[in-house]
Amino acid sequence: MLSIEDYRLDNGLRVVLNEDHSAPLVAINVWYHVGSKNERPGRTGFAHLFEHMLFSGSKHVGNNEHFRYVQSVGGVLNGTTFFDRTNYFETLPSNYLALGLWLESDRMGFFLPALTQEKLDIQREVVKEERRQRYDNVPYGTAFERLLHLAYDPDYSYHWPTIGSMEDLGAASLDDVREFFQTWYRPDNAVLTIAGDFSPKEAKELVQRYFGEIAPGGGFPPFTLQRKPLENERRERFTDRVQLPRLYRLYHLPKMGERDWIHADLLTTILASDKASRLDRALVHEQQIAQDVAAYVLPTESTGILLMQATAKEGIDIEQLETAIDEEIARLVSGGVTDDEMTRAKNRAEVEFAHQIENYDTRADLIGMFATYFGDPALVHRWLEPYKGATAAGLRDVAARYLVPSNRATSVFRPQTEAA
Amino acid sequence: MSGFRTSAPPAGPPRTFHFPNVTRRTLSNGLRVLVAERRTAPLVSMRTLIRSGADRDPADVAGVAGLLADLLDEGAGERDAIRLAEDIGLLGGALGTGADWDAAYASIDVLSRNAEPSASILADVSFRATLPQDGFDRVRRERLTEILQQRDEPAAIAGKRFASLLYGRGVYGNSVIGTAESVSRINIDHVRRYYADHYLPNNSSVVLAGDVVTDDALRVLESAFAEWKRGPEPPMPAIEPAPFDSSRVYIIDRPHAVQSEIRIGHIGVPRACEDYFPLSVMNALLGGVFNSRINLNLRERHGYTYGARSAFSFRRLAGPFVVAAPVRNEVTRESVTEILGELRRIRTGDVEDGELNDTKNYLMGVFPATVQSAGDIAGRLLDMELYGLPEDYFDRYRENIRAVGREDIARVAEKYLDPDRVLIVIVGSAAQIREPLGTLGLPLHELDLEGQPIA
Repeated sequence: MLSIEDYRLDNGLRVVLNEDHSAPLVAINVWYHVGSKNERPGRTGFAHLFEHMLFSGSKHVGNNEHFRYVQSVGGVLNGTTFFDRTNYFETLPSNYLALGLWLESDRMGFFLPALTQEKLDIQREVVKEERRQRYDNVPYGTAFERLLHLAYDPDYSYHWPTIGSMEDLGAASLDDVREFFQTWYRPDNAVLTIAGDFSPKEAKELVQRYFGEIAPGGGFPPFTLQRKPLENERRERFTDRVQLPRLYRLYHLPKMGERDWIHADLLTTILASDKASRLDRALVHEQQIAQDVAAYVLPTESTGILLMQATAKEGIDIEQLETAIDEEIARLVSGGVTDDEMTRAKNRAEVEFAHQIENYDTRADLIGMFATYFGDPALVHRWLEPYKGATAAGLRDVAARYLVPSNRATSVFRPQTEAA
Repeated sequence: MSGFRTSAPPAGPPRTFHFPNVTRRTLSNGLRVLVAERRTAPLVSMRTLIRSGADRDPADVAGVAGLLADLLDEGAGERDAIRLAEDIGLLGGALGTGADWDAAYASIDVLSRNAEPSASILADVSFRATLPQDGFDRVRRERLTEILQQRDEPAAIAGKRFASLLYGRGVYGNSVIGTAESVSRINIDHVRRYYADHYLPNNSSVVLAGDVVTDDALRVLESAFAEWKRGPEPPMPAIEPAPFDSSRVYIIDRPHAVQSEIRIGHIGVPRACEDYFPLSVMNALLGGVFNSRINLNLRERHGYTYGARSAFSFRRLAGPFVVAAPVRNEVTRESVTEILGELRRIRTGDVEDGELNDTKNYLMGVFPATVQSAGDIAGRLLDMELYGLPEDYFDRYRENIRAVGREDIARVAEKYLDPDRVLIVIVGSAAQIREPLGTLGLPLHELDLEGQPIA
């Protein structure tokens, strides 16, 4: 069983220690409870642009020095942004624990003095290139963005993706950066997880030394999200520079961790994972009308998301694909899932979880997520329980209630050459 | 301000790191078996390595090795494709297959309590694949569709055109998956012949890493793979690069592109190159890691790109050296100039001790972080087997990196980088980048997405 020690500093920083000496490494991971859902219209992409800025130095760490310090001792590092959170992490040789804590604490407590317009201008250009590279210059690159626009109303801030819009990125000012930092980047809005080869006594002293003096912020701005259920399916069709038609569906779910969300997670394994899964077998293997098919749930905090996508073979139209998918869902709802399917889906959940626990970096990230979304890092011990307890009847029920047209947004890409 | 914060804290005493002990056996059929224990999770990773890849594809049917690898899980032993997937799923495992230029692979990652039945499935896939006609027809159609889809992917287009302009039509001259024409020519007999000629125990290794007892694992693997029949060793392939005397630019026109995908490079060296370690350090410093010169220049100084990288593809034969950068249209020429400038600068011996030490420390220090999981370790064992690395390779890795000096960087940069004879391939909007690129003063050609000259 993993050792988990969970405490708070006086300034509100939540600290989770997972001591494990199997490799001479230490993973440091900071989750800030802020993401693109905390942005407002006109300033989309800000949380992610901000993540870039946090690598550009702080009061005692020069521009680009953050990367240099970590890499020059053999560490690896990165940060990511999603709807609900932003994480920063490094894995270091374990004798550099103090270095990692120094770096993370300097940007948590002393970022603003080092902020300059020039740094902002450079990172804004880098993020625009990221958007071009990953969204605008590749086939289907804007699919997720389109689906979110469709599935959520503009007042629900999952309406836009974390990358944001080109226009908004251009509008971000230094004052916006300052305000964002002061509002969200503070110890009482963060979880620091340390996993690996360290002495807890020494780690606690270092954490206190580096993070203890950082002041908590004032109150948080009021923030609520209320999603109105869709009344009917929302659909969109458009043409783009792609070779094959592709279907994207977003089904709404309760938020991550709810029983229905976990059932839906298992359900996606039964629907689309390996060659024996239902949609793969029917669409790719037997009918051969799809090039590929996928279904999965996203780890989101405010509301749940099940994504499904399928690419049509040449000469096959999307309607045929949709009919075949809906037939498989109907078959699942009417006939239920088999015991073997339940076993395979539960096995897969167990193996995927074990893979996440295997490495310090992914383990620390998982613990940070449990602490941030569920207020309980020790959930890492119990996360699989509802998976193990899931029943075929429960999955069938979730399929019947959620995998229905009135609960989904559908977005269809069609090749430009195809007659509109 | 507290004094402890003004500068980076010193390191504590380093903990030692040892690559896991590896136990090796050679079975009577010539198959090499390697086992390493790793007990951080209740998982094992097992892999079959076939020391033949797309480099053994007959030129007119490029893509055979890759297609065959995709067909391995379409049926093996007594199981058809669906049954294989079902049984692996019931064991709590995932089955993967694939091929690259140098090798083909089959892998199973599975709950360690089910290692034994999984090894038997891996053996079936390795030498009892049924290679059925109907599965072949479907997998080949999927492959042709995949090739079609790549027509819209600028990075894939750039990679293919760069390879074919550098290597011609032979080995390394396109991509592992072949072309629409070559794949259309492949039939089931090509695939079955490749399987018979190359999937041999004396051309293969099986590795297992994870939560096992070595003796048990050896017994399981020996029993599962004992019946694999040996055959004649396949002959070595050769590359036939087209020589050229000066740098040249090829624009692959993609009229609506919002970025230019740049590839700059030339033929590199094989994995067995005696200068592997100095070259690895030199490349890491030049463009191999985030804080390398090329990325800092293009991304952090100029904001031209989300990321730029250089790499030597160390393969069995001389793979390419290539710098890759997607940049916005307006700065395409500037980016090319900056990249060429970095290639020239590092050849002059302009290397500071600080950046050299940072780079070496990175390569030495990062190694333990890259071998945490059972799958990581299995992957390293495959590298050892594929490239014939010595048994103490990973234990001596750090000292080999440490031994690289400043003069080595200049020496290998001068010897292996040739900025005056580079191939420059740019997939982008010709209308927007043609004129600026003309000012480079290099021969400039325009091709369509298929690689055909545009009149």
